[in-house]
Amino acid sequence: MEKILLRNIDVPDSHTIGVYRSRGGYRGLEKVLREMSPEQLIDEIKASGLRGRGGAGFPTGMKWGFVPKDSPKPKYVVCNADESEPGTFKDRLLIEKDPHAVIEGTLIAAYAIRSHTAFIYIRGEFSFGAQVLARAIDEAAAAGYLGKNVLGSSYDIDLILHRGAGAYICGEETGLLSSLEGGKGWPKVKPPFPATHGLFGCPTVVNNVETLASLPWIIEQGASRYAAIGTEKSKGTKLFSVSGHIEKPGVYEVDMGYPFKQFLQEHCGGVPEGKKLKGVIPGGASMPVLRAEELDGISMDYESFQAAGTLLGSGGVIVMDESTCMVRAAWNIARFFAHESCGQCSPCREGCHWMEKIFRRVEHGDGKEGDLDLILSVSGNIMGNTICPFGDAAAMPAAAFIKKYREEFDQHIREKRCTVTSSTSRVPA
Amino acid sequence: MMNAVKFSDESLKRFGEIVGRYPKKEAAMLPVLYLAQREFGYLSCEAIEYVARLMDVPVARVYGVVTFYTMLNMKPIGRHHIQVCRTLPCALAGAERITAAIKAKLGVGVGETTADGRFTLSEVECLASCGTAPMMQVNDDYYENLNEQSVGEILDKLK
Amino acid sequence: MHGYEFHVPGSGLNPKLETRNCDTHMDPVKIIIDGREVATTKGKTVIQAAAGVGIAIPHYCYHPKLTIAGNCRMCLVEIEKMPKLQIACNTPVMEGMAVKTQSPKVLEARRAVMEFLLINHPLDCPICDQAGECWLQDYYMQHDLTGSRFDEKKEHDRKREIFGPYVVFDGERCIKCTRCVRFLQEVTHTDELTVVNRGDHSTIALFPEKILDNPLSVNVVDICPVGALTDRDFRFKVRVWYLKKTPSICPGCSTGCNISVETYQNRIARFKPRINEEVNSHWLCDEGRYCFHSLTEGERLTAPMIRQEGGLVPTDWETAVQAVIAGLGAAAPVAGVLSGRNTNEEAFLFARLMKKISAAGEVFYRERELTEVEKLLKSPDRSPNFRGACDMGAGGGGFDALAGRLIEGEFRSVYIVGEDLVDLPGDGDKIKNALEKLSFLVVQDIRLTPTAKLAHVVLPSTHFGEKEGSYTNRRGRVQKLNPAVVPPLGALHDWEIFSRLLAKTGEKISFANPAEIFAALARAIPAYSEFNYDKLGDHGIQLDTQRHDH
Repeated sequence: MEKILLRNIDVPDSHTIGVYRSRGGYRGLEKVLREMSPEQLIDEIKASGLRGRGGAGFPTGMKWGFVPKDSPKPKYVVCNADESEPGTFKDRLLIEKDPHAVIEGTLIAAYAIRSHTAFIYIRGEFSFGAQVLARAIDEAAAAGYLGKNVLGSSYDIDLILHRGAGAYICGEETGLLSSLEGGKGWPKVKPPFPATHGLFGCPTVVNNVETLASLPWIIEQGASRYAAIGTEKSKGTKLFSVSGHIEKPGVYEVDMGYPFKQFLQEHCGGVPEGKKLKGVIPGGASMPVLRAEELDGISMDYESFQAAGTLLGSGGVIVMDESTCMVRAAWNIARFFAHESCGQCSPCREGCHWMEKIFRRVEHGDGKEGDLDLILSVSGNIMGNTICPFGDAAAMPAAAFIKKYREEFDQHIREKRCTVTSSTSRVPA
Repeated sequence: MMNAVKFSDESLKRFGEIVGRYPKKEAAMLPVLYLAQREFGYLSCEAIEYVARLMDVPVARVYGVVTFYTMLNMKPIGRHHIQVCRTLPCALAGAERITAAIKAKLGVGVGETTADGRFTLSEVECLASCGTAPMMQVNDDYYENLNEQSVGEILDKLK
Repeated sequence: MHGYEFHVPGSGLNPKLETRNCDTHMDPVKIIIDGREVATTKGKTVIQAAAGVGIAIPHYCYHPKLTIAGNCRMCLVEIEKMPKLQIACNTPVMEGMAVKTQSPKVLEARRAVMEFLLINHPLDCPICDQAGECWLQDYYMQHDLTGSRFDEKKEHDRKREIFGPYVVFDGERCIKCTRCVRFLQEVTHTDELTVVNRGDHSTIALFPEKILDNPLSVNVVDICPVGALTDRDFRFKVRVWYLKKTPSICPGCSTGCNISVETYQNRIARFKPRINEEVNSHWLCDEGRYCFHSLTEGERLTAPMIRQEGGLVPTDWETAVQAVIAGLGAAAPVAGVLSGRNTNEEAFLFARLMKKISAAGEVFYRERELTEVEKLLKSPDRSPNFRGACDMGAGGGGFDALAGRLIEGEFRSVYIVGEDLVDLPGDGDKIKNALEKLSFLVVQDIRLTPTAKLAHVVLPSTHFGEKEGSYTNRRGRVQKLNPAVVPPLGALHDWEIFSRLLAKTGEKISFANPAEIFAALARAIPAYSEFNYDKLGDHGIQLDTQRHDH
């Protein structure tokens, strides 16, 4: 498989501008500034079929196209480096090992919408990543890729590195913008949408790290080469972060459409210690879990995961072997969402905690008849009814775990104890 | 006693630089709060009021912001803030055993600080290091692929 | 229900709303709500369009005078061709849009939101002051009516936290709609409150050691849809369903805020603002809200009194009226002081009386400095009807000039209506000395005030809450006062007293009620010639097209 995103990361000192340039870095930016109008650039990215890699999979070129060209207001581009979806650690790798690809991609996106101020919003915990990026930004500025009159093109662009301070919700694009405006990371009600009323009410594009890091290659190699990889609707390569009960956890770059089971077995080495696979969350903790037997025939693209009743999401693959207590796993995820709910809108604020409390009870032997249907009902009442996608992100896994592993939940309730001895349940919480 | 909270000259200079970087002053809120937390150790009410004045925003707004983010502290914490990730991928890899080992070694519970002020132990949500689970963050640094033995050795080195 | 909040469009003192609505037009748009064609205009939201035709879409966080928060999710509606339910408060109308507000999906979502909002609620309606005007209760009765499925330990929050001199907070009843926070950010710009923490630990809070004491603070109680913020002054006084509500005008200053005077067992329990976009929008200042205490409470006079050796003794009205006319007639020059709280009708008769007895009449007027927040609503002039009284010919320069002459000893007798001059800050002592030197002093008031104690004749009268009449605010809006409580037996309305005195001077006068006086004054005063009580209605009318301040 062709390495696009991970092409540099194994090269020593890949984070330095010298190494990056020696491997063709910043040629994409030079090309767009010298040869392409913003409109041509947007068309090129549309042609590449690149879709947002943060989780939603929205076509990147189309997202840029929503930004009004004639707005008198300043326009902003924000690189969303607030990677926080459980099971996802691909952006961190790019940031730490290939920061210039992230920067170059951000600058290309800025040029596409004629923005003169771009931000990289990096989660606060990524202290090392922020240091790497800060140094890389300085290098890029010194080399003339940033600032006034970039490469003599008369295009000015400023890039500001901004650290978050610990809140999953800031990965949601409008929560991120609220945070960047100096407030709580409360998502904004839509309409209006960020493309017209984003940061400080100005047209804004928010793109994920991986999305942006794909841009230099696409520009340099051409949209058609990128679009040749993958499936009809899912183009190019995608990073998958693989964790949990897997022989070789890590970040993998996969051509869209690659067989999922084969990937887990052959590339990731399968489940260790000869244990049996029990379930896989394919797209980060907010996506519905799949039972082992459901993996057959799934290919690693947006459409195939969706057809299987889950979503590709951020590509955070969490593998669980037969020793895993699915009640405890579901409770763990519910606890995550209860902890991270911003508290702004009623269904999410109240519902996430409600679900967490029931899951906790069931896991600790206090489950009751009707608890599972109640969780399904509560998750259904959250789903689709909240300000931002967080509500769905909390509701989907809760419902999926119960639906997929109902017998195990029932057994917990019937026997009033955790019935699985697993790595997640050896120590009482 | 809490004297009038005030930035050092160096921090004031840094404050000016930070604010100057942003298209709007209020966008500099988080970096300025970091600056204050670094200088004052934690964000006391006095520190929050000071930041509000510097930033020309109502103090209640700053208060809301500080209480929203997990990395901003309104109370003093230990010299080394141990943050063990408890989210699913780390849990699958035995994060609970790591926390238990730290509790046993330091004699504190989650959310507590050792009597000597050296360590504060927290459980936190996913730190995007799932491929190297279980893991913890101590202040700014990540420690990955932990086991009960290695976590003890790491803590021993943190004075 | 709650439809009153939609009454009148406009910005209501919130500049953020102005900018938000700046690109709205009057372009007509037709949408369909529950199968009914609704004509509205571009820029309106579904909730506004629905309200315009009397369809009240349930909501908590939406308030027409605050920015959209969209957080309660109660106003979710089904919109054709949209896969998810949409919040009506933030969905702009579009030509041909078909909205369902009562579909099974909508009703289920609404029921679910109710359930979410109640899971951590203490369900303490029996001891909650909001009971009876609580939107949680109201919507619950309309939509849910089922027992709770929440069987977990409830999250606790702060109870009975004193937010300020008038406002108390119960965190467990709070639904985090942030109306209070937005009011303080967007209307008063005082920013006392915020939401702290996150998830289900989110709660409304003041910054430590700060208090909520801005001059408009109690409006947060009015807009709180639940029992989280309650009025310390009203707390535990009376169940709201026992309150009798009388539309009237605040007597606190000459802004003339529209209020509902809410009474129980013939006592005023509270003022609530009534919406009038031309005057006070949805708001009422704290000073005005509580002014009824000082204006109405205390032991009432129930009989005229006359000074005899040894002091004031009760007498009958005939004796008292006769003594007043005789006394004033015998001790010229005479000065008359009318309260700025007297109505137009009273001022009209007072002016006639002053003319008849050749007295120098003046109406009470005192100005004050206002802070920026106070200026949002308060008038510098504390007298609610100074402008009207002047229009009636009761005076014109305000009391201060007259006070100077009084202190100089220019008058031998004085007739004071409804003002306790001795209690005036600053000049009180000088005036007291002057009053003590008079040959004859008449005081007409509701209580035996320090000023009344100096009088030769005291006439028991009634206060604003007992009267019918009209006030003309400082911008020339004529608005109606209605009697909310019944005066004590033995007291007479000022207009009745003036009528009796006028009759005693030989003036042919026979008004049966204030409406008849108003008809007379409308004939006499050109600016009022078009008006009558029916026309004043509940929201008053503007005197002239040129609004001018004093």
